[in-house]
Amino acid sequence: MRPTSTAIVCAVIPALALTLAVPLVNRLEPRILGLPFVLAWIVAWVLLTPAFLWVAYRSVRG
Amino acid sequence: MNAAIALGIVALVVVATIALGLFGVRKVAMDPQEFIVGGRRIGALLLWLLLAGEIYTTFTFLGAAGWAYGKGAPAYYILCYGACAYILSFFVAPVVHRLARERGYLTGPDFFADRYGSRALGALVALLGFLMLVPYVTLQLTGLQILLHIAGYSVIDPVVAVAIGFFLVALFTFAAGLRGAAWASVAKDGLVLLGVLFAGLVLPTHFFGSPAGALDAVLRDHPNWLTIAGPGAPNGITWVVTTTILTGCGFYMWPQSMAAVYSARDEDTLRRNAVFLPLYQVMLLLVFFAGFTALEVMPGLQGSAADQSFMLVVQKYYSPSVLGFVASAGTLAALVPAAAQLLAAASIVGKNVFADYGITRSAAAQTRTTRILVLVVALLAFAFWALAKTTLVGLLLIGYNGITQLFPGVILGLAARRPPALAVGAGIIAGLVTLTAFAARGVSQLAGVNTGLVALAINAAVLGIASALARTPVREGAPAGS
Repeated sequence: MRPTSTAIVCAVIPALALTLAVPLVNRLEPRILGLPFVLAWIVAWVLLTPAFLWVAYRSVRG
Repeated sequence: MNAAIALGIVALVVVATIALGLFGVRKVAMDPQEFIVGGRRIGALLLWLLLAGEIYTTFTFLGAAGWAYGKGAPAYYILCYGACAYILSFFVAPVVHRLARERGYLTGPDFFADRYGSRALGALVALLGFLMLVPYVTLQLTGLQILLHIAGYSVIDPVVAVAIGFFLVALFTFAAGLRGAAWASVAKDGLVLLGVLFAGLVLPTHFFGSPAGALDAVLRDHPNWLTIAGPGAPNGITWVVTTTILTGCGFYMWPQSMAAVYSARDEDTLRRNAVFLPLYQVMLLLVFFAGFTALEVMPGLQGSAADQSFMLVVQKYYSPSVLGFVASAGTLAALVPAAAQLLAAASIVGKNVFADYGITRSAAAQTRTTRILVLVVALLAFAFWALAKTTLVGLLLIGYNGITQLFPGVILGLAARRPPALAVGAGIIAGLVTLTAFAARGVSQLAGVNTGLVALAINAAVLGIASALARTPVREGAPAGS
């Protein structure tokens, strides 16, 4: 089964958020639940990755 | 007395885990298929634990905390790269698995040998994997030595302790194979989870009222500790991004990760694992909290001593039984991945050098050779540990820089039209030469860029040029071996 365009978009978004986007959010403020903003951003995207991959999974499963 | 209690707990846990591993394989007959890839029948839950078992190693348990302690924000890359690797694996692993099943691959190098129709390329990849696994196994040994040293309140000779622990695991690997390691992961992951919850939540709460309180304390003393330095700075933002990309690409290139991909029951199991494995990664946040807490409670540890930071806090402020419990979690985090890594290093050389070149001929001889090689790798890593003592992070990055050189070959190997084996091999060798040249000059960052990524770019360029010159792509269904 070939990757659908939905699957590719769902994979690229969190991958970019965790790599090329990190320099854009490399700030201390605003702190979220005590975490520096950059760390909160990373944790949020690690937690969101399964949601994106789940959508990708549903799309390749048809 | 304190040492006896703490070490007694560690010993009890290690023996119980080995017993669990052997119990898990008590009715399984050992042939190479079973020994190396668990008979390709490993289901979603056990596979999850096996893959996670290879992630939550001593590096996570001590090294990540050590980095949070010693370097601060650059440690965040460890949280990023796992998720990136799983995203990549969502697409790549199922295809690799299908090829492995159809064409009967046992080892990572088999993929190269078959897809590029070259036994020599398979052997080159096997030797590279073998070499890069030695520092990785040494990393586990260094962690083991730190843990036993601290749990023994410095009374036990670390060399003796490591020797005992390590030969125990070599023996365990020898007997149980991959499925046994997967079962041992069950015990390990449970205990490591508890250990990390303790270190990441109980420790900061004890000293600062909450994890956020620990971060406040760090910011008071080190205002820039929790944000990443600018581009071009050592371990600055450029380094974090390039290292995330490099290690994210390299993650599944490890022979033991390839074996785990082969060992899955089906492609869907792998896809579902890729979806949910990032959740497991969040545990690392707690490990960072432990490192930041230690920085405030016990400042002043320099260099590789930072790897000991939060264990020293536990030793100083908690009872021997608590120390024993946390140390036993760490000990399993060293021993179980070490078992999988030993097995991987032994099986790739056993298969892609000894068997493929006709040195071992029967399946029984192959299993026997693999088992003997397990002991050989264990001895090599032990010697490396005794001779060259490097930090945990240093050891891991040596291995990652090298193993990631396989990435272009794996990705291009999935295509119907593939470059010739010679081009892939030339790229790998160019990448390794680049790495060696940087290492000889003691350079690990070039204007902030991780040199592993520079080597990967040179590797890809050489591959591209060589295949353009050759212009004879290997077609689908080319015969294996040559």
